[in-house]
Amino acid sequence: MYKGFRSESFTAWAFMAPGLLFLAVFTFWPIIYGIPLSLTDYSVITETNYVGLDNFTRAFQDHNFLISLWNSLVYVLIVPVIQIISILMAILVNSRIPGVKMFRAAYYIPVVTSMVAVALIWSWLLGNNGVVNYLLLKAGIISEQVSWLSTSSTALYVLMFITMWKGLGYYMMLYLAGLQGIPADLYEAARVDGAGPLRLIVHVTLPLLRPHILFCTLISVMGAIRVFDEVYILTKGGPGTSTLTSSVYIFQKGLEQFNFGYASALGLIVSVMVGALSVLVFRLNRKGGVNSY
Amino acid sequence: MPRSLRVLITYLLLILLALFMMGPFLWLLSVSLMPGRNVFANPPAILPTFIAFDNYVQVWNFMNFPRYILNTVIITLLGVVFNIILSCLTAYPLAAFRFKGRNLVFTLLISTMIIPSATAMIVHYLTIQAFQLGNTFFGVVLPAAVSVFNIFLMRQTFLGIPADIRDSGKMDGASELRIFIQLVMPLVKPGIAVIGLLEVMAFWNNFLWPIVVLEDPEKYPLAAALTYLNGQFSYNFGWIAAGTMISVLPIILVFLFTQKYYMEGIAGAIKG
Repeated sequence: MYKGFRSESFTAWAFMAPGLLFLAVFTFWPIIYGIPLSLTDYSVITETNYVGLDNFTRAFQDHNFLISLWNSLVYVLIVPVIQIISILMAILVNSRIPGVKMFRAAYYIPVVTSMVAVALIWSWLLGNNGVVNYLLLKAGIISEQVSWLSTSSTALYVLMFITMWKGLGYYMMLYLAGLQGIPADLYEAARVDGAGPLRLIVHVTLPLLRPHILFCTLISVMGAIRVFDEVYILTKGGPGTSTLTSSVYIFQKGLEQFNFGYASALGLIVSVMVGALSVLVFRLNRKGGVNSY
Repeated sequence: MPRSLRVLITYLLLILLALFMMGPFLWLLSVSLMPGRNVFANPPAILPTFIAFDNYVQVWNFMNFPRYILNTVIITLLGVVFNIILSCLTAYPLAAFRFKGRNLVFTLLISTMIIPSATAMIVHYLTIQAFQLGNTFFGVVLPAAVSVFNIFLMRQTFLGIPADIRDSGKMDGASELRIFIQLVMPLVKPGIAVIGLLEVMAFWNNFLWPIVVLEDPEKYPLAAALTYLNGQFSYNFGWIAAGTMISVLPIILVFLFTQKYYMEGIAGAIKG
């Protein structure tokens, strides 16, 4: 028996070895190696020195880094908006009417297309003489053209809108799966007790979606803090520092200016922040739970 | 509220939402079919007055599209094959075997999802350089050759397979590898299709990492080449629109033809 167990163990590790090797090099190693790297001034140009915690003290005096942290936190504000809209969308596409599957697919198309294409389309739509300004002017909502992406006060919110627009379909699908798992007789019972549509949502749908809400909140918080592509393509953090998010700043320091040591320190600070935020989300949803897949 | 009115309101909301989600793509399609028109004309051109494919022909002739498409296909195929093989191999023991360290592996995998590494890309860059894989397709693919998400997805699928299958294989004296390849793998085809689709989309749309790794723009995949096109011809709107349509159409078609599996797979990723 013992021998059988041991050989099964050996086979298991043999099966997992290639995958774990790749994970070790490309998933675990970056987390581990980031720590010693953050204690050096490693860059391609000069000799590498151990600098202790200098990078970290420098980070907290780095005005741009603090702004980028703030912008990343502002970005997290899209999380509740995404959850609310995508739950409503899911309820809508859960209706049993002909053609509804076509609409589900249509809402999902922004999710499958590349951010490069999405960013390009929106940068045109949002241009000074673009379609958005034209429509808003016609409707009388704004009185003059707005340069949405090159005005400091609007740029970050416009990027948040694009991120939301691209992601809605993804969360809608996750919630739809949750909705389809809710037994119909629960609704029947509540209806017999005289509950209206709104009460059905608040007292039946939302409590039963709780694990899904936790999961979606968690991944969208992480997504919001790590947001990179749309910001990098559309504004590169500008105008000024108004859309400088932490990932963009780390990328600039690391892969554009080759300050690997400093960038690693910044990355570690952000990772700790994300870890703390996810613990917070878990706490807020203590009753819910993710059944680790 | 009578049922017919409720259905009517539902359709109205569905259509409004569809305009919001699809409108930008339809407009891009419309721009790509309007030769010689400026998207910033006043009033902006929304619908084409006549349809022509000039932009497509010109941009196809100007940019080496077959080259970029080939690059994208190679990168995507490599990425998909690596992901399928590696995540199946890793997930199978986690679902079917009892062995020491199983919980340790599981905890390690989950922890990588909770602690994201913002520095990962920098270390990946150093690693790829150290392996001398800079400017190669392998350098593009290897950092994303296996993902924890796919491992969990496949583990979920393997869990649905009865243990009898493995036992009967053992009874017949088959090796574990043979049981895996000949008996188990054919039963998880839907799961494989799902991670395959997820990775086709991820690799097809990837633009940033390829730009970082590949020094030679001739090796760029489509999404990366598109940023290049946008930078070079920022005033030739019709060309850029046509180029963008060429790059997004294949992935939208793949999605439309496979959406049943794809959506079930996405939904299957979490269980309440």
